[in-house]
Amino acid sequence: MNSASIGDFYAEIKSKADAKVDALKEKPVVWIGTATCGKAAGAMEVKEAFEEAIKNSGLDAEVKEVGCMGYCYAEPLVIISKPGFPDICYGYLDEGLANRLVEDFLMNDDPCFEYALVALETNDYFPTFSDFPRGVYEEKIILEHCGFIDPGDIDHYIAREGYASLAKTLRMQPEEVIREMKDSKLRGRGGAGFPTGVKWETCSMAAGEPKYVICNGDEGDPGAFMDRNILESNPHQVIEGMIICAYAVGASRGYLYIRAEYPQAILRVKQAIQQAREKGLLGDSIMGSGFNFDLEIFQGSGAFVCGEETALLSSMEGKMGIPQQRPPHPAVSGLRGKPTVLNNVKTLCYVPPIIRKGADWFKSTGTPESPGTAVFSLVGKVNCTGLVEVPMGTTLRNVIFDVGEGIPEEKGFRAVQIGGPSGGCLPESALDIPIDFDSLQEAGAIMGSGGLVVMDEDDCMVAVARYFLEFTQHESCGKCTFCRLGTRQMLDLLTKITKGEGELSHLEILRELAEDIKGGSLCNLGKTAPNPVLTTLRYFKDEYEAHINKRTCPAKMCPDLIVYYIAPEKCSKLCNVCVGSCPTEAVYTREDGLKAIDQEKCVKCNNCLKTCPPEYNAVVKLSPPELLKEKEGNLS
Amino acid sequence: MKLLEREKEIISNELQDIVDEYQSKPENLIPILQKVQDKLGYLPLPAMEKIAQALHIPAVDVFGPATFYNQFRLNPPGEHQVKVCMGTACYMAGGSIAMESFERRLNIKEGETSPDRKYSLERVACVGCCTMAPVVVVDDEVEGSVTPTRVDGIMLSFEASDGEKKQEQVEGPEKEQREELEKEEKSEPEKKEGE
Amino acid sequence: MSKMITLTIDGRKITASEGEKLLWVALENGIYIPNLCAIKENNRLSASCRLCFVEVEGLAAPVTSCTLPVSEGMVVKTRSPRVDRLVQTAFELLLSHHRLECSSCSKNGSCELQKIAKERGLKLRVKRFKPLDYETEVDDSPKTFVFDRSKCVLCGRCIWICRNIAKVGAIGFSRRGLERVVSTFGDVPLAESPCTECGLCVEACPGAALARVQA
Repeated sequence: MNSASIGDFYAEIKSKADAKVDALKEKPVVWIGTATCGKAAGAMEVKEAFEEAIKNSGLDAEVKEVGCMGYCYAEPLVIISKPGFPDICYGYLDEGLANRLVEDFLMNDDPCFEYALVALETNDYFPTFSDFPRGVYEEKIILEHCGFIDPGDIDHYIAREGYASLAKTLRMQPEEVIREMKDSKLRGRGGAGFPTGVKWETCSMAAGEPKYVICNGDEGDPGAFMDRNILESNPHQVIEGMIICAYAVGASRGYLYIRAEYPQAILRVKQAIQQAREKGLLGDSIMGSGFNFDLEIFQGSGAFVCGEETALLSSMEGKMGIPQQRPPHPAVSGLRGKPTVLNNVKTLCYVPPIIRKGADWFKSTGTPESPGTAVFSLVGKVNCTGLVEVPMGTTLRNVIFDVGEGIPEEKGFRAVQIGGPSGGCLPESALDIPIDFDSLQEAGAIMGSGGLVVMDEDDCMVAVARYFLEFTQHESCGKCTFCRLGTRQMLDLLTKITKGEGELSHLEILRELAEDIKGGSLCNLGKTAPNPVLTTLRYFKDEYEAHINKRTCPAKMCPDLIVYYIAPEKCSKLCNVCVGSCPTEAVYTREDGLKAIDQEKCVKCNNCLKTCPPEYNAVVKLSPPELLKEKEGNLS
Repeated sequence: MKLLEREKEIISNELQDIVDEYQSKPENLIPILQKVQDKLGYLPLPAMEKIAQALHIPAVDVFGPATFYNQFRLNPPGEHQVKVCMGTACYMAGGSIAMESFERRLNIKEGETSPDRKYSLERVACVGCCTMAPVVVVDDEVEGSVTPTRVDGIMLSFEASDGEKKQEQVEGPEKEQREELEKEEKSEPEKKEGE
Repeated sequence: MSKMITLTIDGRKITASEGEKLLWVALENGIYIPNLCAIKENNRLSASCRLCFVEVEGLAAPVTSCTLPVSEGMVVKTRSPRVDRLVQTAFELLLSHHRLECSSCSKNGSCELQKIAKERGLKLRVKRFKPLDYETEVDDSPKTFVFDRSKCVLCGRCIWICRNIAKVGAIGFSRRGLERVVSTFGDVPLAESPCTECGLCVEACPGAALARVQA
């Protein structure tokens, strides 16, 4: 192994990449976010509009696709870089605004600040990220480049120090790499928080050839999408992390296990692997070092349980994705019985920065036991939804109210669901806990994959618990007794309660069953499945009791416990919106011109309530349904 | 389930190539099933039998995984596929309302294909577009903020695009499929296996 | 020959070869631990029925004995309030998805479920939970036995024996979650499957899911 030649190899690809990226700085470029979320918001139409307008203008400007920078609430997003101006990001794009930006900004010199979201570089005119609360709390390690580089062009990653860590790694001894990772105290971001360096060390010392590295991109937690985003926005950082891992443990083959529900991520990763091979960064003698490693994609076929390591391995062996008894752990006996490192997408993304900047740098962020950052997908009833990366130890209050800018429509905060189906619902009182792996566990939730779903006063905690049990029950592999039958029994009890057919004794059965499933299930999915119920029973017992004792859903969400009602004193004879909005013709005009609802026909779709103009606000939900008689009785 | 001529042809001519491409290794069963489903739109029993023979494994070992994973279907999908996301954010934002609206408009239940094979309705676990909730994937395009009114809009666009198609009168496999279907009309909605 | 070790089960000193699974050591020494899915010859442990829990000194929570290799000095208790509670719940859950008709059942008296109930003082009825719907159709296509899924506990013994001893592979698990079943390819009746009616599966079945036709 010749370390000088590795240095030369890297210097050469770096200077080529720099030249390519520098050339782009000479002319205006429109960078448009076209990750799945951007596309769903209409990014492709906006892109066409830009291309068309630029063509018509005769300007020498380019339109490039980038991934997602995490400001999902403002999609579609573009960043415009024009020589002589700071790079500026614009949100809520549509075709009209695209035309305007080309005309006013690109052709003339008016940056249209009224539509700007944030400037990316310090300047005298417009605030940058650090001028907003979000920028103060955020610290980006793994999302650093997401949304700012073209994921379809490896040179964009290389120009930002990409693959420099690999060049450094190949000049280290494998033991040194493992020592650095152990020193960094990086904990796996897949959910359980197992120390990554220890896992690597176990695999490196285990007997058996060949060894494998697998990236677990089977992001199944509903409400979490950071892995998708990373794979779509910056696939090379994951690939670089995998190659470094392979070098450290002595693996020659790797797989990226990606959900079939993420077609664009699969496409981006395919491109990335191809380009990395062409550059000599994958395949035989990587960077001329003599180290061989190659990887391919394995498409998951839709089973939540495959996020569990042993189930994932079973599916890669052509079987049903069913968890196996551990030990043996995959690091000792994994794919095809060989030592296998399985790491989450995010975990692998931390590897290149840690190698490049060192373990001490990494530990300077976060808490002593959970160093580094936490990535959350912030969704639900929060103003600024999106992907957030904050240091471990930040409180949920900071994330929801500062970064996320609070709850829309001035509604009250009810709970935050963290960690998906294996996590829990935490109340207001938990908002000030500094979040890390251990503090969340104490509160009854888990870090999980980092899904944060914010819920307001209109969200029913019993319905949420029921939703998660329905999910787990649907996704249970069915192998072991507790998970197959236990989650079903819990679901049936919760369904009864949300229908107003519950009894107080059901709460005791629920708790007992939840504890037994936790203690008795074969795999971690089963063991954690009761968490949403246990946390809601712990923090929101009064809501369960209201459903049972008063047949009332306090949040007015459970369809069987509410009715829609149009208050005659508020309704206007002149307005007809609700009648038109009703998909089942349940809303009708009474003889006196006011509107009313035929309860027999009503499917409780909420359309009338949504469309009733705010100046009337005449449609209300009543719970329990018996209140309707009272209201109607008052009338006569 | 009666096979269409085109499907029989693929099974007898192309399956072996797919299996060969994966070196006839049983561990490649999942990618093989994915590829076959790509070609046929679903996994007919004769295709699975043939895969099992080619891999030298009991046929029931193909049937197991094929019924285990959400992605695989044992019955043909509709021409238009509607997948309603039931991730947390979508559920909280009214995913079940969107599902209910489609069920009402298409007159089929979740997991079913309409008798004319025109529409199929499924639930998906999470497509990762939580910030646009509730989300529906319509023929591989993600639609955000889907209300009952938007469902009506989507249905209208189906009808409009089908109108155009009819004018063009497509030849080939689609025509054949339609003709064969017309013969075996009036079957009950097909429940997706393994749901 | 592996090393012999001594362990204690319920206060009894027992000699066994190191690494052997605790369940078999206990059973071979006349100490009963409930079990349905365990197959001694199978290296790929199922550990799915969740009935063979025991307490081991030094371990924080009850563990399944079918997966636990014995070691020198191990101290085991087959009963404890925690173990009894887990076993009771798992057993009641299994019964909640089972056609309970012991008095008219062909396996009455020789059923493993009845044995567990008797040994552990458990009731053969569902109290806390709601009985779930079960498959009512019975496959009576084979000449010598019937397959009644409503009595299947999904232990997988029939599948293992069909594959590894009979070398046929007519049946396997299919679907998932509550719909997980033992089935043939395409759900055809056994008589239309590769089944040779050797009857080994009937011997392996702990209950009455696979049962001889009564003469």
